[in-house]
Formats: sequence, C-alpha cells, structure tokens
Amino acid sequence: MQSRKLIVLVAIWAVLLLAPYWMAPLGGYTALATRVLVLGLAAMSLNFLLGFTGVLSFGHAAWFGLGAYGAGLTLKHLATSTPLALLAGMLLGGLCGAILGTLIVRRRGVYFAMVTIAFGQVFYYIAFQWSSLTGGDDGLRGFARQPIDLGVFRLDILTDATAFYYFVLSCFALAVAAMGFILRSPFGRTMIAIRENERRSRFLGIPIERHIWIAFTLSCFFMGFAGALYALVNNFADPHGLHYSQSGDFVMMAVMGGMRSFWGPLLGAAVFVVLQDYLSSVTVNWMSFVGLLFILVVLFFPRGLLGFFQRSRA
Amino acid sequence: MPISRRSWSVDRRTILKSGALIAAAQITSPFVIRARGETPIRIGMVDPLTGVYAAIAQNEVVGAKYAAEEINKKGGILGRPIELLVEDSANDVGTGVQKTRKLIDRDQVSFIIGDVNSGIAIAMAQVTSEKKVLHVVSGGHTDPITGTSCSWNVFRVCNSTAMDANAIATTLIEKFGKKWYFLTPDYAYGHSVQASFEKILKSAGGTSAASLVPLGTPDYSAYLIQAKAYSPQVLINVMGGGDQVASLKQFVQFGLDKQMAVGGTLFELESIRAVPDGARVGWWTMEWWWDQPGVPHVAEFNAAMKKITGSAATARNWFGYASVQTLAVIANQEKTLDAPKLAHALAGFKLPPEIALQPGAPEYRAGDHELMSTVFVGEAHPPQGDADNMFTVKSPVPGDKAAGPVEESGCKMQWPA
Repeated sequence: MQSRKLIVLVAIWAVLLLAPYWMAPLGGYTALATRVLVLGLAAMSLNFLLGFTGVLSFGHAAWFGLGAYGAGLTLKHLATSTPLALLAGMLLGGLCGAILGTLIVRRRGVYFAMVTIAFGQVFYYIAFQWSSLTGGDDGLRGFARQPIDLGVFRLDILTDATAFYYFVLSCFALAVAAMGFILRSPFGRTMIAIRENERRSRFLGIPIERHIWIAFTLSCFFMGFAGALYALVNNFADPHGLHYSQSGDFVMMAVMGGMRSFWGPLLGAAVFVVLQDYLSSVTVNWMSFVGLLFILVVLFFPRGLLGFFQRSRA
Repeated sequence: MPISRRSWSVDRRTILKSGALIAAAQITSPFVIRARGETPIRIGMVDPLTGVYAAIAQNEVVGAKYAAEEINKKGGILGRPIELLVEDSANDVGTGVQKTRKLIDRDQVSFIIGDVNSGIAIAMAQVTSEKKVLHVVSGGHTDPITGTSCSWNVFRVCNSTAMDANAIATTLIEKFGKKWYFLTPDYAYGHSVQASFEKILKSAGGTSAASLVPLGTPDYSAYLIQAKAYSPQVLINVMGGGDQVASLKQFVQFGLDKQMAVGGTLFELESIRAVPDGARVGWWTMEWWWDQPGVPHVAEFNAAMKKITGSAATARNWFGYASVQTLAVIANQEKTLDAPKLAHALAGFKLPPEIALQPGAPEYRAGDHELMSTVFVGEAHPPQGDADNMFTVKSPVPGDKAAGPVEESGCKMQWPA
C-alpha cells in the first residue's frame, strides 16, 4: 500500500503545481486557487486539532484573524517585508493561542468548544472596537504584499497572480510538511492515542493536558500562518475573519472533506470555496446548497468526501 | 480466504462513486466557458445579495439591470450590447475581493460597480486601481472612499456620511435649536458620524451630550431617561438597522416625541417600510426620492421600478441605475473603454437630467470623484395616501453645499503616469 500512497501524494502535488494551467480552461482563475490553498491550510490546521487530537475548537477563526492583523500591521507600520509579515502574523496568532490555550485545555467536549468560541469573540470585539489600531468595522487597509527580493531575481507577487500562487503554494508546502512530520513523530502518535481513548492514555502515564495544550498551540501557529497569508491575498484584514461564523466555515470544510484524513480538509476547502464561488453567481440561495451538501456528507459519509473516495483498507 | 466474485459484478461502492462523479459533473460542466458569437461589453457588479444588506443590495441590482436594458434598447456601448454580471459579496471582504478578481481576470469586465458595505468597497477599490479598471461605488457611504482613500479610478454615486450629516444638521439647527443629545452605537461608524455632527454643531455654537450604546441593545429606557434629563431640543439617533427601529419605537412610547425632535442621517425607504407606524418618525435625509413633482423623467423611472418591484422606486434603485448609466454615457461620449481616459472625462462630468433624476445637474467633483447629488432633508411619517408616501421632503440641500470644500474631504488624487 506504500506505493499507492506515494501515487496519491504525487497526484495531489501535480494537481496543485499545475493549477494555474488547468484552472483557466475549466473556467476558474488563479486567484481562486490561491484562496483554496489558504483556506485549505486553515482547515488543515483546525483538523490538526479536531481530527488528530480529537478536540473541537469552534473559535479558531480568532487565531486566523490575529494572523491576518499581525501581517497587516507589520506591513503597515513596521517593515515592508512580506516574509517578516508572515512571521509576525504567525507569532501573534500562535502566541495568543498558546497563552489562552493554558486556560482552554482544562475543558473537554462541548465545554471546550464553548470556551474557544468565547475567547474567539473576545478577539473579534477587540478588533471591532479598537478602531485606532485595527480600523474597526471598516477593516485594516493601507498595506500591500511586497515583491520578494531573492538576490538573483525579484519575485513580483504583488501584480503577477501566478507568481503569487506559487509563493502561497511554497508556503503551504512548508506548513503542510511541518504538520506531516509532527504527525509522524511519537508526539503525533500520542495525539492520536488521546483521540482514540483519553482515559486509557492517562492511565498509560501520558500527561494529557500538556499534550493537548501543545497540539492546540501548534494548531494556532499554523492557523496564524494561514491568516497571515490570507491578509496577503486580500491586502486587507477585517474583524469578520475573527468571527465565530468564520470558525464555523473552517469546521465545515474539515468535516466535509474528511476529518480523519490528512488531506481531507483541503478537499473540503476546495469544494466549499469553488461551490460558493460558482453557486453564488447563479443564485442568492447558494448557502442552502452548501448547507444541503454538508448535511448529506454528515449523514451519509461520516468520514467525509475523501473518506468516501478512499477504499477501505479491510 | 478468497471470496469468489464474478468479474463483471458492480459493487455498491462503485455505484455510489460514479453517482457522486456524475453529480459533480453537473456542477462543474457549466463552468466551461462556451463560445460566444457577439462579444458584449461586460459590467461587473459586486453587492452583498445575502446578509444584513440583502434588501438594499438587491434593490441596487434591480436598478442596474433596468439601466442595462434601457442602454441595450438604445444600441449599447460603442454599438456593442452590454451584459451585467452580478456577483454576491456575501457581506464579507474576502469574498468581495475574490469576486472582483474573478470578474476582472476571468470574465474580462470593462467596469466594476459596488459595494453597499463600505469596507468591501474600499477593498475592491484596491483591486480595481491595481488592475486599472474604472470603478463606481454605488452605495457604500463612509467618507474615506472619496476622502483619504480616494483613487483616480473610483467614483461614487451615493453621498458620503459627511454630506448627509452636514445637510441634516444645518436644517435641524435652523428649525429646532442648538442643544442636542446623541444616541450613538459604540463602534467606529457611530463615533465618526457623531464626530461630524459635533463639528457642525460646535461651529454653530451649540452644546451636546451623548450616550454610547452597545450594538444590539434591546432596551433603551436608561439612555432615553438620560436624554430626557438633559432636555435637548434635538435627539440625534445614529443607531442603525434593528437598533434604530427599537430606539425610535421606545422614543415614541416614552412620549419624548412631544418634547424634542428626533433625527439623524439615513432612514432609507427600505428601512421605513420594514418598521411599524410607531417608529416612522423624525427628521432624516434621503439620497433620492421618488416623488419629485416637476422634475423631468422621475415619474417614468418610478413607474418602471413599480412595474418590476411592485412598489415605489427607492434611492438604492437609483444608485444602481445611475451607476450603470454613468458608465455607458461616458464611454459613448469618449468612444473608448480606456479607464484612465474615461476617468479623466468623468472628473467634473455633469449627469444629464434623464440620469440625474433630480433638480439641477449634479457633477462628479473633480477633486474627490464624489457625485454632488442633492440631499433630500425631510420628515418621516406613517403612509399618507400612497403606501410609499412615508417621507415628506422639506428642504432639498444641493450636493456641493452639503459636501463642503474638496480640501475637507482629505482626498489627494494621484493619477497613473
């Protein structure tokens, strides 16, 4: 089965690498692919926690939005450097998540979800009210992603949509590789053990709280990174990015795509974004169709779309 | 242990999979762009068709579609028919930006219109100026669009918040007095509206006090008691949406309407329709009004809208209509689709009466690209005669008077080299 896995992996990367070339003839456009990548990364970050540690965060948009504001504020006030903005966004989202995570991980199940919503909304209202720093309801504007100087040549990611796609794709690859390595490590295995049977893991002597906290923190760092990329996509950051309804969208992407599989959330994000993009041009009731698909997936394919297409190993 | 299986057998999983693939094909196939014989000129419109602004956004679309039909009847733009592509921004900045890119990159639109939500409109303007596409903001009100964030390719049909505030403030000071009390929603928009009111009041030598009200407050008794204790001549209500309705209803229930005037900037016809008679009170601004006796073409437009929507034309209908018509008339006049050329021609362009649909000939001011449209200051009331006759225009304020000098807008127009 190892070779089969390899083929799937090669296929996924081929599809992603060639996206600017096959999307246009199908009626898509490069910016759509960029958005799929960024939201896909966010959904995968959430799934790092939901699918592999087994705790549901309903406030992950907070770390996503903080990442966006971190990147935006850096570009606007500190330095006009895209890598620095990404770093700052990731740190802001990740560190806030790490600090609040110490309080959040004390709860389980629905209480965990509720506490994450509550903390998420705290950040939403801070962004909404602190107009002098965040631009309030109008959003943070007046910054733009900067071309990247690689010494030998300049990568113009500001005006060239394809160059920007490949820039986002390489960031995505870095993050996904890091995620993959963590999941393959003994720590990753421990996370899955906690997901499968928390009490048994505790009896085995695993410090559950600390492990969940580390998983939560890592997930927040990835989320902050995705948020920072999202700010670069839009050249804009707004409070809606921190709102719990955005968290709901991420959960929907993860569950729709398949939360037990590594690539599932990316598929979920692709379906969600493309469906929204296409259907909302046709009808104002597009949300009903997305909702209907979600219900169908939950009812009939509890392992998500990817789980459905993967032949069971048995 | 091997299970014998006939080679041609189709298992349940395969049927399910192929079913899903066929279903997916139904969704993706219309995605493929079909060849088109005639190449129309495309205008892209991005508006929040879903979410809290859905009602007013859809009215803008009605007006814009009507304008497109009218233009096509008269031969289109440069002899080519026009096609209006409407996209839903879902009241979300990311989606709005995405749709704008889609319209420009994939659909190759020549012009962009939108959005009702000011934040989205500004984010869209970043995209359109990057892509050098002429952009008409139909209905986003905040000042920066034609102020500090103004751009050579962005023109606005609806008024700025400052214009509305200036127009109503002067009227309220003249009619009622200079002691005011503010009921302000506690967020950026509310603060900025209150600040622009206070500036005008202060320069007239007035005094004021204010209550900052959290969004979504159901009970206004505490604030109304404070307002009553201050005994102002005017209560300025900056609340929006459901908050506006609740606060106005309670204002009347408390009997305060007999002690002070109430008013504010916008109380759109869509909002007045949605509230009970008890909340149809106060002094407000309309940015366009369907009942303008003696002004040419207004009655025809109103009748056409009534035929489509079943009720009187609203300001939003006119915003959509005027946005599309502006683009057509300027392109036909200049005989080009080149954005910088058209933008230069639009700066200072006076709208002809069949588009302006109001007294005078409002122009897109060269300094900030704001349409100097008349502000209709008047009083809201329960329907009198006609079901949509819920507002009486008392003093129309010319746009340039309401807007004040260009320098105050904070706009420094930068043209591309």
